[in-house]
Amino acid sequence: MRAPILQLTNVTKRFRGLVATDRVSLTVAAGSITSLIGPNGAGKSTIFNLVTGYLPLSEGEIRFHDERIDGKSTVALARRGIARAFQIAKPFPDISVHDNVRIGALFGRDGRRDVDQVTERALALTGLEDFADRPAGDLTVGFLRRLEIARAIAARPILLLADEPCAGLNPAETEEICDILRRIRARGTTVFLVEHDMEAVMRISDNIIVLDAGAKIAEGTPGEISANPAVIAAYLGTPDAA
Amino acid sequence: MLAEALARHRWWIALTLLGIAAAAVVPFVLMPFHVRVGQMILLSTGLGLAWTLLGGFAGYWSFGHTAFIGLGAFAAGLFEVNALGTEFMRTDPLLGFALGLLAGMAACAVAAALVAWPILRLRGIYFAVAMLGVAQVLSELTNSIEAFQGSLGLVLPRIPAFGLRTEAVFYYLLLIAAVIILAIAFLVKNARIGQGLAAMREDEDTARMLGVPTERYKITMFVLSAALTGALGVIYAHSLGYITTGSVYRTDFSLNMIVYNLLGGIGTLVGPLIGAAIMVLLTQVVLGSFLNLHMFLTGAMLVALVVAAPKGIMGGLAGTWQSWRRRRTAAP
Repeated sequence: MRAPILQLTNVTKRFRGLVATDRVSLTVAAGSITSLIGPNGAGKSTIFNLVTGYLPLSEGEIRFHDERIDGKSTVALARRGIARAFQIAKPFPDISVHDNVRIGALFGRDGRRDVDQVTERALALTGLEDFADRPAGDLTVGFLRRLEIARAIAARPILLLADEPCAGLNPAETEEICDILRRIRARGTTVFLVEHDMEAVMRISDNIIVLDAGAKIAEGTPGEISANPAVIAAYLGTPDAA
Repeated sequence: MLAEALARHRWWIALTLLGIAAAAVVPFVLMPFHVRVGQMILLSTGLGLAWTLLGGFAGYWSFGHTAFIGLGAFAAGLFEVNALGTEFMRTDPLLGFALGLLAGMAACAVAAALVAWPILRLRGIYFAVAMLGVAQVLSELTNSIEAFQGSLGLVLPRIPAFGLRTEAVFYYLLLIAAVIILAIAFLVKNARIGQGLAAMREDEDTARMLGVPTERYKITMFVLSAALTGALGVIYAHSLGYITTGSVYRTDFSLNMIVYNLLGGIGTLVGPLIGAAIMVLLTQVVLGSFLNLHMFLTGAMLVALVVAAPKGIMGGLAGTWQSWRRRRTAAP
């Protein structure tokens, strides 16, 4: 069993009357690809927003490397090694692809050190070297997703939160993103993934956590999850519910 | 990083140094009227650059930067007249002016730091309008509180001329100020903070996610921009000799700072100079004889330029250069 790098304990987030996540406890093991899945509105993006400091917790606690991090700012968490690749790619459109990635290297964990080498490595890992001089706004959706990941890993994260990196991509592009995520794991970075493409999730995950209506309903290996009746019911519905 | 930037921009730097050398001989070869036009170009360039530190680099457009021209002018004037006194200013006018300049800049920096926390939480048009409000409040306070002498007017002590004509003295002061602001803007743009500001301008939330300390950076730039605008306000006020609220808290100053940048190219260092030179030459020289038509013609030209080059002249040139390079590299 690998050591935990991220631990959420009884994490609850309320938006006025709406409970977005209800006492969710989960663990992400160091060096793993752990996926968070669930139907729309299950609370996956809320969990990502809580871990990255975009939203304050209502209750519970979040620990990263044994340090309690709930309440810390997004900037402080980025400096500690938590990076996020967004679901909707948010490039800096008027800046070149190279400089987009370089900004990640300049300000992330251990910023200022080996900035140029880190930038080049992130571009190479995501296959963006040939587009380095182009304005980021010129890239297609598939390459924008790569840029999103390149910029995040240039920040030298210990934990990368990848928010639906395969959404809207064709099977070949999806496979390339999966390859990139595997290579990131192989370099020692833990990947915490939210993804709707179940084939991709089953192929690359070491561990899968399933949320439904703000609560955790299952956790296990891809094989265990695909056979779990509660998960099947959450995704396909039950005969009684029809 | 700085050494690399200096090497990369060596031709621009050489051109700028030549331009400064050429500008330095202007008072000796041109008529006083044209030296005054030069003064206005330098003042406008300095103001455009000071504005762009926040507006162009960080994307926080201020519609009320005249607040710092007025505050700098009155803070320096009141400090020189009341704190230093007539006797001090007569015996050592240069030191008095320097201390007044520092007082004006400090007042602007402190005022900016005080309003920064609430006002920089706003983004986009909300920040722009809030700055309009700050300018209005400061202007009203200067006008209404008797001690500030805004409605009555304030006579500023003379500064030494070193044997030069008055317009030449202020021309050189504004040249020095514009060059210093340009150097500061160059350093900021090419330092780590400049990269962070560029990220912030494009998308502040993503920049934070990447570890850019957005709060610290925008407060720093706001305070710096305010202090430098204040310095120009102090020099401008001395060039007038007598100031009232209306002569330094001017809405057209706030708007023109934006126009210079839009016209020349927002976020660039040469843009404010190009924008300021075009606008001043157009309004003061070319259309100077058509006073009844000049606002109409200026407005029409601005609309045409913004439609033709939405990223300003420098942005348009950069776009043309890039597409030419792409065509060239794509050709077999």
